[in-house]
Amino acid sequence: MISSSRLVMASLLVPLIVLLAACGQSGNNASPSPSLSEASSQASPNAPNADASASSSDRPGGAAKEKAVTIGIVNSPITLNQINDQGDSASKNVQALLNDALLDIDSKFEFLPKLADSVETQDKQTYVVKLNANAKWNDGQPFTTKDVLFTLKTALNPKVETSFRLSFIEGLNDAGKLEEGQTDISGLKIVDDHTFEVKTKTPIDPNIFKETFATKVYFLPEHVLKDVPPEQLATHPYFQKPEVTIGPFKFAAFAKDQYAEVVRNENYYRPVAKLGKIFVKVLPAANLVAQLQTGDIQLNSLPVGLIPISDYEKVKALPNVNVDSSGPSEPAELFFNNKVFNDVKVRQAVAYALNRELIVEQLLKGQGEVIDGSVPSDNPYYNKDIPLYSYDPEKAKSLLRESGWDAKKTIRFLVPSGNKIREQAADILTQNLKDAGFKIEVQKYDFGTLAQKVKKGDYDLTIFNRDYYIEPSLYFSLFQSDNKSNFIHYANPKADELIKQGAVEADPAKRRGIYNELQAILHDDLPTLSIYSEKRIQAVSKDVLVGKPLNIGMFNNVNEWDLK
Amino acid sequence: MFPYLLRRLLIAIPVLLGITVINFVIMKLAPGNPVEMLIDPNTPPELIEAKKQMLGLHSPAYVQYFKWLQGLAHGQLGYSFSSYAPVSHLIGERIGPTLLLAFAALFAGLLVALPVGIFSATRRNTRFDYLMTGLSFVGTSIPPFFLGLGLIYVFALKLGWLPPGGMRDLNGGGGLGDTLLHLLLPATVLAVAIVGKKIRYVRASMLDVLKQDYLRTARAKGAREFAVIYRHALRNALLPILTVFGSEIPLLLGGSILIEQIFQWPGIGQLAMQSILSRDYPTLMALNLVAAAVVLATNLLVDLLYSAADPRVRYDA
Repeated sequence: MISSSRLVMASLLVPLIVLLAACGQSGNNASPSPSLSEASSQASPNAPNADASASSSDRPGGAAKEKAVTIGIVNSPITLNQINDQGDSASKNVQALLNDALLDIDSKFEFLPKLADSVETQDKQTYVVKLNANAKWNDGQPFTTKDVLFTLKTALNPKVETSFRLSFIEGLNDAGKLEEGQTDISGLKIVDDHTFEVKTKTPIDPNIFKETFATKVYFLPEHVLKDVPPEQLATHPYFQKPEVTIGPFKFAAFAKDQYAEVVRNENYYRPVAKLGKIFVKVLPAANLVAQLQTGDIQLNSLPVGLIPISDYEKVKALPNVNVDSSGPSEPAELFFNNKVFNDVKVRQAVAYALNRELIVEQLLKGQGEVIDGSVPSDNPYYNKDIPLYSYDPEKAKSLLRESGWDAKKTIRFLVPSGNKIREQAADILTQNLKDAGFKIEVQKYDFGTLAQKVKKGDYDLTIFNRDYYIEPSLYFSLFQSDNKSNFIHYANPKADELIKQGAVEADPAKRRGIYNELQAILHDDLPTLSIYSEKRIQAVSKDVLVGKPLNIGMFNNVNEWDLK
Repeated sequence: MFPYLLRRLLIAIPVLLGITVINFVIMKLAPGNPVEMLIDPNTPPELIEAKKQMLGLHSPAYVQYFKWLQGLAHGQLGYSFSSYAPVSHLIGERIGPTLLLAFAALFAGLLVALPVGIFSATRRNTRFDYLMTGLSFVGTSIPPFFLGLGLIYVFALKLGWLPPGGMRDLNGGGGLGDTLLHLLLPATVLAVAIVGKKIRYVRASMLDVLKQDYLRTARAKGAREFAVIYRHALRNALLPILTVFGSEIPLLLGGSILIEQIFQWPGIGQLAMQSILSRDYPTLMALNLVAAAVVLATNLLVDLLYSAADPRVRYDA
C-alpha cells in the first residue's frame, strides 16, 4: 500500500524533474548562451565597457544605471552581417547603430560626412574619397584605406554573398562582382592611408555614387577577418557576434526574435554617444502602443515597427508620447501582368475604377496620399505636373467596353498576407473592380509563395510595396524590357531608351528632364498603378531628446540622442 | 525491461528517418524557395543563381537530402539559410524556453486538474462538481490567444504587476525571479486550457473506477475513505490519465506557437514560424527532427510510467 502512493508521487515527480532540468537550461538562456552574447553584459550593465570606462572618469564607477532607449520593432532583424543585409529593413536598423558608412543621409536627403571627410569628383567618373584621419575601429585600431580595400575585395568576390550593388564600378561584371579568379578591382585606386579613388564605367550622377556606395557600404575590419577564406566568410562566428565594428554603438547581444542590444562605443571617433545602451526589441504591432504607454519602449522603428493605423487615436491620446507622421513612403503598388492586361485601355479602366481616395480617407484615416507612379512624392525626381487618375466608375466601364474586354475572363489577384492595411485595401480594390465589370478571384499567399508565382508570371494582378529608394533609376529598372526581372512583362522601346539615358546621365537637370518624360509615358501606359503612399505614425516618448523614428536617416545623429 | 527499452530505441531510428524524408518532401513541394524571397528588379539574376550554388540548391533534391543526412551522421545540422548561424545554436537557444514554458504549464495543469477532478468525482452531482465541470467548460472553450491578450491587458497594462511579454527585463533583469515573472502569464494561459480538458478526463476516469467491486471490498475491509480513494481508486484511474497528459506534451511543444507570439516568448514556436516564412530548410529539418524525437521520447516515457502505475503492465517481451 505504501509503495503504491510512492509510485503515484514518483509519477508526479517526473514532470517536476524535467521542469527543473528545463529551468537549469533556460537559466543559460535568460542571460543568453555564450554563443551569441557575452554573459557579462547581462550580469552588470557596465561590464562590456569596463576597459574603456575605467579610464574615462565622467561616470561614477559603474554604479549608476546607464541611460537606455528601447526601440520597438515588429519583424526581427535576421542578420548583423554588414556586407549582406539581405534586403531586410529590420537588420539594416541594427546595422546602422553598429556601423558607419562613408557618408550618412538625413531626412531631407542631405549627405553628411561620416567616415569620409569628403567625396568629390571633377568629371563625375572618378570619385576621390578622403577618410576622416581620426577614424578608428571600436577596438582602437585605426580605420584606413586598407580596410576599404579588404572590404571591397571580399564583398565583390564571386564566392561571397553581398547586398552591395556596385556594378557601376570599373572592373566589375554586370552582376556587380569580380570575375572568377580575378582579385584586383581595376576601378579602385588606393592613394594613401586616408585617400582612395573609385572609377566608374561611365560618368554617373554623383548622387548615385553617394547613395549606393557612400551611404550603403559598411566596412569589415581587416585585422579581424583577413585570414578567413571567402567561402567560409558568411558562417564565420564574427557575423553572429560582430564585436569589432566602427559606429556610435557596439555589439552587446543579439537574440533573434527577441532583441538586439548595443552599448556605447567609448572609442568612437566622433563625439561619444550620450546614451549608454540602445535595445531594439521585437514585439507584435498590436503591442506597440501599449508598450509606449507603459514606457517599455520609447519609440517605434520605421519601416518595420509600424503602429497599426487603427491605433492612431489611441497613441495620439497618450500623455507621455509625441506623435507625428512621416513623409510619404514607398507606395503600395498594383502590378499588372502586362501580357494579360495587354490593352492600355483596360489598365486605364482599372485606374478609373478604383476608389483610392476612399482607401486613404477611411482605411488610412488620412495618413497617406494617392499617387499614380512608383516614385514617392517627396523624391526629388517625382514629376508633380502629371494629373492623377480620378475615381470615375462610368469612364472605367466605357473604356472597358471600348477595349472589348471579355467579362467572363477571371482575373487572379494575388495578395500577400501579413500587412493588414494592404489586405483591407485589396478588399476594397476587389469590390471596385467587380463593380466595373471584372471577374476577380483573390488568392492570398505568404510573401515567399507570392514572390515565386509572380516571378514565374503565374499571376494576373498583384499588389505589394517595393523598397524605398532615393536614387530614381532604381524605381524604373522594373520597366526595362530586357531586365530579366521585369515580372510585369512591360515593353516600350521609348521607355527603354529613357531608362538607359536616365541611368547614365550625369547632369542632374538633364536627368530630371529625362525622368519627367519617362514618368509621363509610364503614366499613360500604366504598366503599374500606385494605390496609396502611407504617412507612417512616428511615436516617440517625451523623455527622448533628439531621436525620433524616420523613414530615412533615423540614426544619422544617434550619438546625440539623450534622455531627460 | 531493458531489452524492451533497447527495442523501442532501435525502432525509433527508422521512424525518425522516415519522418525526415516526409518532412523534406513536403518542404520541397511547398511553393517558394529561400533564394527568391524578394521581388527586386534591381537584383541581377546572376546573383540569385550564385546564391543557389552557394546554398547547394542547384543539385537534385535527393542529393540535397543525402547531403543533409551525411551532415547529421557527423553531428552537423548545418547553417541557417537566413542568419548563417549554426542551426544547433539556434535550436539550443530556443528549446530551453519552450520546455520551461511547456512543463511549467503541464505541471501547473496537473497540480490543479488532478485534485479537482478527484474531488468532483467523489462528490458527484454536488454544487462543487457542477461548478468545476462548468469552469472546465469555460477553460476549454476560451481561445488561448484571447485569454492571453486579456491577461496582458489586465495584469500588464491596467495593474502593471506583470511584464507584457518577453523572457527578461531588457535593462537589468535576467535573474530567476525575473524569468518567473515573465513566465507567469504565458504558463497560466496554457495551463488553463490543460486544466479545462483534464479535469473532465480525471473525473470520468475516477468515476469509472469508483463503480468497481474492489472498492466496495476495500471499504468492507474497513479501509478509511481517504485510503480507498487515493490508494485504490486513483492508482487504477491513473492509466488513462497518464495517456492524455503524455499526449499533451507534443501539443504543448507545437501548439504554443500562438502563445509564444503573443507573449514574445523566445521558444522554438517562433523560430519555426520564421523559418517557414523564410523557407529556411536546414532549420526546418532540424526543428522537425527535434520535435519528432521529443514526441517519441514522451511516448516511451508514458509507456514506462504505465508499468510504474500498474504493475500488471510488464515489458518483458
